[in-house]
Amino acid sequence: MGKIMKNRTKYTFALPALLLMVIIVAFPIAYNVFMSLHVWFVASGSGPRWVGFKNYITILFDKRFWNSIRVTILFTTGALGGEILIGVLLALFFNRNFKGKSIIKTIFLFPIAATPVAVSLIWAMMYNYDLGIINVLLKAVGLPPLLWLADPKLVIPALVITDVWQWTPLILLIVLANLESLPSDPFESAKVDGASTFQTILFITLPMVKPAIIVAAMIRSIDAIKTFDLIYVMTQGGPNIASENLNLYIFNQGFSYFRMGMASALAIVLFSIVMAVNVFLAIIRNKNTT
Amino acid sequence: MRKVMLSLLLLMALLAVPLFAGGKQEAPAAKQSTSAGFDWKTFEGTKIKIMVNKHPWVDIIQPKLSEFEALTGMKVELAIYPEDQFRTKRTVEMVSGTSDVDVFMLMPGNALAQYVQSGWLAPLNDFMKSDKYLWPDYDIKDIYPAALNAGVRNGKNYTIPILLETSLLAYNKEIFNRYGITVPKTMNELEAAAKKIYESSNGDIYGITLRGKKASATSQWVDFLHSFGGEWLDSDGKAAVDSPESIAATEFYGKLLRLYGPKSAPSNSWYESISIFMQGKAAMVYDASVFKPNYENPEKSAISGKVGYAIIPKGPAGSIPHVSNWGLTIYSGSKHKEAGWLFIQWATSKKMALQGQLAGIPSARASAWTSPEFKSKDTSPEWTNASIASYKVASPLWNPPVIPVGEVRDAMGAAIVAAILGQDTAAACKEAAKAIDRILANSQ
Repeated sequence: MGKIMKNRTKYTFALPALLLMVIIVAFPIAYNVFMSLHVWFVASGSGPRWVGFKNYITILFDKRFWNSIRVTILFTTGALGGEILIGVLLALFFNRNFKGKSIIKTIFLFPIAATPVAVSLIWAMMYNYDLGIINVLLKAVGLPPLLWLADPKLVIPALVITDVWQWTPLILLIVLANLESLPSDPFESAKVDGASTFQTILFITLPMVKPAIIVAAMIRSIDAIKTFDLIYVMTQGGPNIASENLNLYIFNQGFSYFRMGMASALAIVLFSIVMAVNVFLAIIRNKNTT
Repeated sequence: MRKVMLSLLLLMALLAVPLFAGGKQEAPAAKQSTSAGFDWKTFEGTKIKIMVNKHPWVDIIQPKLSEFEALTGMKVELAIYPEDQFRTKRTVEMVSGTSDVDVFMLMPGNALAQYVQSGWLAPLNDFMKSDKYLWPDYDIKDIYPAALNAGVRNGKNYTIPILLETSLLAYNKEIFNRYGITVPKTMNELEAAAKKIYESSNGDIYGITLRGKKASATSQWVDFLHSFGGEWLDSDGKAAVDSPESIAATEFYGKLLRLYGPKSAPSNSWYESISIFMQGKAAMVYDASVFKPNYENPEKSAISGKVGYAIIPKGPAGSIPHVSNWGLTIYSGSKHKEAGWLFIQWATSKKMALQGQLAGIPSARASAWTSPEFKSKDTSPEWTNASIASYKVASPLWNPPVIPVGEVRDAMGAAIVAAILGQDTAAACKEAAKAIDRILANSQ
């Protein structure tokens, strides 16, 4: 009797937390799935109508959906690749002592502190074809000005550059913290064995910080896949839909077009993608740590 | 996930509200006036609720409400919200059926189709003809027909305009003089002027700048569409943006920007577009008439005092600009419709229209524009004359008269961008028409 009571008490204490999780996590997801099986055009003033999997079938044949997937993939791989490459290089550069290191390091961390909307507005101005500083600089060194945000082929690279500018410091921070905590013995024995700096970095440093890089990649990839503010402020998905990623498309379906069922179904797709990427990266990480 | 949560919250709010909807009561019979004629005091003691958004017009009306209350003996409750919240709250209140509002602001071009189809608005025609409720000095004929017609659906009037905007061709007089150009009267002259300026300046000065950013571009493109003889929809309510006239208009709009306009056009909305004009980097801009204070502000604009204004040049079908306006409407569930109508008449009277006009809010009444008081204070008569000329011939339609306005504008915006980029305009217009028909079929 006493034992059972004890067990019950245990559960009772966990109950509020559990309830909270159900309310703020499980219910919204379940309700979202439920809504995704309806057609609901809110602007007409009529209620939701059950349609089964019709929304998902529509999505399969929706060119704009596949465009948004393409944009999401290009943006995510571009941003992630750039950030990891530059971030790791910077971390290696900062992983030694030189004069003024802490000041320069602090300056490099500034971009993370800025709000994405402000960053996007500033970059949008800098990218402006007629009035922006970037084209002024390009012209000054004799290069032709570029249509950064107005050219469908250039708009994603332009967005990637902004994202890399803002989020590389995060990678730098994580990797550098890991580098600075590495044991010194392997490096000493490498030195004794006559390994060059390049060999040391390639065969000792990088494998040792790999788990940290994977964690950083995980955090950034989730964010990059569901980027919204940056694109919404800078291009609103334009020109036309050349930079409309999946999250922006969901926003448009839900809050520009008021098609809540369709938006819910797209949100489920985005949710699945983020989960899949997460699981994939978690598997890689586990392989590396065991 | 944050976005998903937000949408869920909204959905839950929308779902939950009807649970609390009380039974609607029939309107109590209005207090009978002794005489059959019009009397401001008919509804003495009645309290009405007016819902408005934070708009300069409200700043004019608000301090004068006590005059209305003294005149009628009614009480007015004014609920003011910022524009975004206003639109959301208004819709949620209507959907839920719990609203106690009597009169509210509405932009017919954006929301009239939705509000009429949902049955949220009371038709005003009976009031407009009534001996008992129509104020003899109201003078409906003084209101520009385009403004009044913007509030008409299925032959019934739903909104009374409180202000009236149009689009004007603004040009830089200094650049026009430098290259010996006269104000273009036809579309051909417009293109010739743009071409001459762009080529004579070796591309340093754009001939013209227009919006090119997807949906935002349709607001001014529509005036080219109408002036070329095209339409959003045909008489059967099917998309007509792939008619030869519509394709020609879209191609012309795209060509102006592609050949003589800013290269950044596909990413320019009104802000970027008028900025280029105000920097003196473009000789002409065709955009909303209300941007005059921006052009003429010496702190923001390098060309203040050098700007001329004209109506849109003639196309094959004539000069057909559009007007857009905010209006006042009566909620169909209101218990004080007649009292609300008295308020609307007072708020849109000649006197109040002139007050607004003097404060820089373009009036929907001809008398305000021609009043000696306004004329003596008018600093840019050229703008005034162009605006009046535009009002007289304008179409009240700028958005397609459908519920999914944003979606249809996006579909057409894609074709406009294609035209600017020099892609196959005809194919893009055909695709847009197909998309629009599909959207409309899904919006029943």
